[in-house]
Amino acid sequence: MDQALIQGCGLKKYYQSGNTRTAALNGVNFSLQRGAFTVLAGRSGSGKTTLLNMIGLLDRPDEGSLRIAGEDVLAISRRQRANFRLRRIGFIFQAYNLIRVLSARENVAYVQQLRGMKKKQRLELADYWLAQVDLAGLGDRRPDQLSGGQQQRVAVARALASQPEIILADEPTANLDSHNGESLMALMRRLNERENTTFLIASHDPVAMDAARELVSMQDGVMIDRVLRE
Amino acid sequence: MNTVIYLRLGVGNLWLHPTRTGLTLLALVIGIGALGFLSAMMNGMMTNMKSNFVLNEMGHLQIHAKGFEQQRKIELHLNNTETIDAMLAQTPAVRAWSHRLRVSGMASAAGSSATALISGIEAEQESRVSRLREFLVQGAWLRPTQLRDAVLGKVLAERLRLDIGDKLVLMAVAPDGDVMSEVFRLRGTIASGAMEMDNTTVLINLKAAQAWMNLGAGVTDVVIRCRSFADVNPLAQQLRQQLDGHDVEVLRWMDIDPMAEQWTRFNDAYSWVIMAVVMIVILAEVLNTMLMSMHDRLHELGLMAALGTSQGAMFAMVIWETLVLVTLGGVLGFALGYAFTAWYAVHGIDLSRYAEAFSFMYIEPVVYPAMEWQQTLHMMGAALSGACLAGMYPAWQASRLDPVQAMRE
Ligand SMILES: Nc1ncnc2c1ncn2[C@@H]1O[C@H](COP(=O)(O)OP(=O)(O)O)[C@@H](O)[C@H]1O
Ligand SMILES: [Mg+2]
Repeated sequence: MDQALIQGCGLKKYYQSGNTRTAALNGVNFSLQRGAFTVLAGRSGSGKTTLLNMIGLLDRPDEGSLRIAGEDVLAISRRQRANFRLRRIGFIFQAYNLIRVLSARENVAYVQQLRGMKKKQRLELADYWLAQVDLAGLGDRRPDQLSGGQQQRVAVARALASQPEIILADEPTANLDSHNGESLMALMRRLNERENTTFLIASHDPVAMDAARELVSMQDGVMIDRVLRE
Repeated sequence: MNTVIYLRLGVGNLWLHPTRTGLTLLALVIGIGALGFLSAMMNGMMTNMKSNFVLNEMGHLQIHAKGFEQQRKIELHLNNTETIDAMLAQTPAVRAWSHRLRVSGMASAAGSSATALISGIEAEQESRVSRLREFLVQGAWLRPTQLRDAVLGKVLAERLRLDIGDKLVLMAVAPDGDVMSEVFRLRGTIASGAMEMDNTTVLINLKAAQAWMNLGAGVTDVVIRCRSFADVNPLAQQLRQQLDGHDVEVLRWMDIDPMAEQWTRFNDAYSWVIMAVVMIVILAEVLNTMLMSMHDRLHELGLMAALGTSQGAMFAMVIWETLVLVTLGGVLGFALGYAFTAWYAVHGIDLSRYAEAFSFMYIEPVVYPAMEWQQTLHMMGAALSGACLAGMYPAWQASRLDPVQAMRE
């Protein structure tokens, strides 16, 4: 059997606020196969973002181990982590996904630019992915000229354009109405099936949970349930 | 490698807040423009002062018998100047030279008398070396063949209550120790604005002076005018070598009177202080603008860091933005300063209200500002390195940004 793409063991993360110490993650064991389309559900404050940030190498656990594609990602330097994110992870956030002064096309191409891809090539690639997320022809628009749903699609295009091993999405539908939320989820699901890109989506939005192929539930920093829904 | 995008982001982010950016730019433009203009004005004044200082009377270089400058005794004179004249005739850096015989003595007329610095000069040749003749305010210049002609400083002539054509008696001690007196007629008066000169100067023909003092072809000074200030040092060095062993001293203008040189130095130092103060104010403004801009974009900076933008790139991005701002302000500021300079270079800045104070320092009351390339480059360099410095702190903050914290609402 294939090795799991992500393998987290005994992950713990504490936050100190005043005299009280809260455990945002309280011993999470978590693994994810390549090609998964998993929604991480749970109430607000249950630790979803914390776990996602850990897997996205934006944050480090206080205890536990974490391997991505077999690599011990807790052992690498800050610089290597940034490089790992750049080359192997796609991000979709709840809001503020785009750089304001760049056009949609340039936003999609930004990661390729950091990776050193030639201008013509990366802009062509950006146009291709904008078309894939049904935004063909809107490449010249600035983020403030796009609706919330369109902005999230640009973020999806950016994440996919870099062909990462995994796309992490944190509450991607939170700022959308249910119609736009549904179509965004449908889009990601479609791309997951077609491109076989792995998605891990943190959301407490029922619309997002409905689209999941696998649903993982969290509560108070631990995983309480895991169901395949296909 | 990714300079283009950071430049683009820098410009774009500045454009996001046109008012804020505009105000900062305005401060930069006015500050740098004023700085450029003021330094051009200072340059104009200093150049004016230096050349007045030298051209009024002194010349760029003087050759004396050794020790004359210190002792000012007529015994220390050059018996003849043939060797020196031949040498100067072959030196391209020399524009013109003339001979003088200087002696201090007394001038008297109708019961009043005053100390006088008497100079025998070559009436025609002197005009090629100094501006003495241009200072003529009354009467006429010395006639080379009229050995009784005398031209006096205006104040001195007034003190002796002399009118044009009046007789005066000059008295001085000749090298052999005899007190010699001779009668002259006032031919004209000069006013340079320099007090000492107008109070004491008496000009007569060199031949008259030589005959009066029994000196034959002897002179005390060979006064040299160079083609430019840049020639002064090399020429002095060359002449010192060539005249080694001749028992003469070759003095540069700043050796003769260090005042003007000191003034120039002082002015340079003063300009640096003003520049530093203006730069600090400007850069505080830039720093403030950058910190505000960063604060506004915290989420976005967090996003960029999360996507994998390296720390170095985050740092560079902020520095570039600062540089764009300061370069724009600098270029516009210098353009403004240059425009003012160009206008006043033609029309002059009339400071005649303060002329009394200035004439003492050999500065004419109308100043023509002049921008110096090198100085402009220095200031631009200072502004840009200052910009880097001011950008350093926000850039350092950006590079250390924790994306998780930055993106948290
Ligand atoms: N930087 C932080 N400082 C203090 N407490 C934090 C911080 N980040 C998260 N927490 C706490 O950790 C817990 C889990 O937060 P989070 O992972 O954001 O949950 P979710 O994304 O499921 O809403 C919450 O109780 C939250 O208050
Ligand atoms: Mg969350």
